[in-house]
Amino acid sequence: MATLLRLWPLKRGLGCPGFIGTLASRAQSTAPEKIEIFVNDKPVKVDPRSTVLQACAEGGVQIPRFCFHERLSIAGNCRMCLVQVEGSPKPVASCAMPVMKGMKIKTDSPDTRKAREGVMEFLLVNHPLDCPICDQGGECDLQDQSMNYGSDRSRFTDMEFAGKRAVEDKNIGPLVKTIMTRCIHCTRCIRFASEVAGVEDLGTTGRGNDMVVGTYVEKLFKSELSGNVIDLCPVGALTSKPYAFTARPWETRKIESVDVMDALGSNIVVSTRGGEVMRVLPRIHEDINEEWISDKTRFAYDGLKRQRLVTPMAKNAQGQLVSTEWEEAFFRIVEKTVSLSGDQIAAIAGGHCDAEALVALKDILNKLGSEALCTEEVFPMDAAGTDLRSNYLMNGRIVGVEEADKLLLIGTNPRYEAPVFNAKIRKSWIHNDLDVAVIGQQPDLTYECEHLGESPKLIQDLVDGKHPYSKVLAGAKKPMIIVGSAMFQRADGAAVHRAVSSLAQTVRAKSGCGEDWRVLNVLHRVASQVAALDLGYKAGVEVIRNNPPKVLFLLGADDNTITRDDLPKDSFIVYIGSHGDNGASMADVVLPGAAYTEKNSTYVNTEGRAQQTRLAVTPPGMAREDWKIIRALSEILGVTLPYDDLNEVRERLEEVSPNLTRYGDVEEANYFKQSEELAKGIKQQLSDQPLTPPQLALKDFYMTDADITSITDNVALRESCHGVGQQ
Amino acid sequence: MSVLPKFRTFFKIIKENGGVVGSFLKLYRTEELKDGTLVGQDKYGHKYYENKRYFIARSRWVDYADDVGMDYDGSQVPPEWHRWLHYMTDDPPTKVPPVTRKYILDHIENRTGTHEQYVPYSTTKPKVHAWQSPRAN
Repeated sequence: MATLLRLWPLKRGLGCPGFIGTLASRAQSTAPEKIEIFVNDKPVKVDPRSTVLQACAEGGVQIPRFCFHERLSIAGNCRMCLVQVEGSPKPVASCAMPVMKGMKIKTDSPDTRKAREGVMEFLLVNHPLDCPICDQGGECDLQDQSMNYGSDRSRFTDMEFAGKRAVEDKNIGPLVKTIMTRCIHCTRCIRFASEVAGVEDLGTTGRGNDMVVGTYVEKLFKSELSGNVIDLCPVGALTSKPYAFTARPWETRKIESVDVMDALGSNIVVSTRGGEVMRVLPRIHEDINEEWISDKTRFAYDGLKRQRLVTPMAKNAQGQLVSTEWEEAFFRIVEKTVSLSGDQIAAIAGGHCDAEALVALKDILNKLGSEALCTEEVFPMDAAGTDLRSNYLMNGRIVGVEEADKLLLIGTNPRYEAPVFNAKIRKSWIHNDLDVAVIGQQPDLTYECEHLGESPKLIQDLVDGKHPYSKVLAGAKKPMIIVGSAMFQRADGAAVHRAVSSLAQTVRAKSGCGEDWRVLNVLHRVASQVAALDLGYKAGVEVIRNNPPKVLFLLGADDNTITRDDLPKDSFIVYIGSHGDNGASMADVVLPGAAYTEKNSTYVNTEGRAQQTRLAVTPPGMAREDWKIIRALSEILGVTLPYDDLNEVRERLEEVSPNLTRYGDVEEANYFKQSEELAKGIKQQLSDQPLTPPQLALKDFYMTDADITSITDNVALRESCHGVGQQ
Repeated sequence: MSVLPKFRTFFKIIKENGGVVGSFLKLYRTEELKDGTLVGQDKYGHKYYENKRYFIARSRWVDYADDVGMDYDGSQVPPEWHRWLHYMTDDPPTKVPPVTRKYILDHIENRTGTHEQYVPYSTTKPKVHAWQSPRAN
């Protein structure tokens, strides 16, 4: 079984596009002529490369299935998709059967129904009747399909009380719960692990009635995408451990939102019940996350209920932060701020801020006469800096990697910085023969890649054509260069940026990929960065360090980029945010804000796509949406901001940067050449220090506090995940 | 029926309630003027009257102590008088004193609406854990 399932890598070896490959990849070649088939005597024109199941779908007939999944290879082992084909002596498994000209398919004939009933009976004979206590109950494929296609009576009597087949549960980690008796051996999880996640941990042992899905030896399912097997499992064999027994699907309210755990902006559905987030599920967005989400996205929601700031806080006489009223907190700020000139006030924005809060904070500080608005993440401000959007965007887009043929990763580990994007690279590596090369410390990316070295000087060598790989890049049709934003945090960040942008220009010129193809890509690590830069925030806190302010506003900034030691003794710190952490600990006044599930807000992902989060639950206690807090503060400070509701804030956003309200669209950026010309003026030299992405092991991914600030901080779950990383 | 006894009763009521001024104040406080015999007084100063001329249910009443002012309330009547006042018995506690026991608590009036009111505390865990700032040293 296990060997059968690993047919797909052969394709790379043989170099011929196999059937499976064409099915799963986005074929770029021209489609061949369509052929006519008959689905229940209705003529349908379909692609000759499609399967009977796909052809039926095109003919408007949904065929029941368990093992078949659009984004995985075909296994054909559940037999639920049996249909009758005229001329065939036996029913055929439609998911694995290619269409043939003039094929006559009967999807609702008595024979087909009988075949389905038989298959369903066999599945149920060894499936426990524990639906009332099963977490999948209500969203279970087996439940639904046994109602639709199963027999209306049972032949299962068990007179001897021999019991059904039972399988021992496996411990595969703190995130995925296994109840293996419920497994119907569809092997979706196995195929997901080996094809998408790239960890060959899962497999089957035994045959027939003794077949068991597991990890062969007892070990943990160590993948940053492991949670997706919960969604893939058609029954309740793999369920979410943190969600176990907490809610039923029919009693939750589903709100479509956007994730902020990384810079991709994965589309999610937030399930809530009684003002509490119960779980987070992926939502399909073909250009971003397809239907996967990373474990951090999926399981970070329990952080929304811990360490929350629920009341305004102010320091008392003993220097202790205590709960207070909004008025009191505001007056404390005004007391300190009112006598100050603009250059004594500054603000730092963290990694989870929404565009509305960012623009409100910028407006209030500008009105007070301050220009010192910074983001925690550094980006070189030399030369064109952040003036040209093309400098800091993933210009080639996330889907671009599916068209690219050469990919150069510089100082980034997409596996942990953007796990879903890494899965996309892997998909492209499997189906499109994408060649991946890495500069910087080489992590395990789950696909083969050429390691060029670790020194940043290599980038310059590639520009000058001194390195053999520059020929490969020059020969590429659609090259892509992705540089991790972590590399700009280095002391020689500007030089790295100069080198990378000139490399991108050189490669574009030499490879002849055309003006339309974007070579230079920046992979950000935090969700707020692109919106902040679009709004004109300064990247990095250098300005504040050089000119320490008397009053400092922290908008969700928890990274300790500026500490008390960097500021004068009598300086006053205001923290606005949802979670208590480093930022709140050093603040004099804390104003409780809303987390990403608690507000309608705008986030821009690393490719420059503006997306909205939706209010799923109300902010806890006295917490309010961040922009409203700033708006209220502005009134007391006497610099009232000219917007009273969300639409008016968004009008203001549009005024500053129109792309921020074009939801769902990617706003393209340009002026690569000009940017490169300007970058030549940067005098900084590349250092010899190796390019090291900040997250190298799975442990780092679960334990991140550098890029993900407080939401995943000190979460009980994370403690257990810490165990995963250490094993 | 002669009119004279009515006048006699009227003046008797005015007299028993402390003249014109006293009657006016009593009427202001209780919206009712009655004459009756004082049956007894409890330890809080409330006075209990009876007049069988009135029909039952109105023939026994309480005149609350002066110190409660306008804030008089039915729950200020202690249990031993309550039973007489509500015709559960015809023996007032002045005639048949109640049995005293060690465990009988002192009477308190209903505290609802005051700052001493009873509020049940929640036994469920809060859904959201608030952040506590670390102790300042």
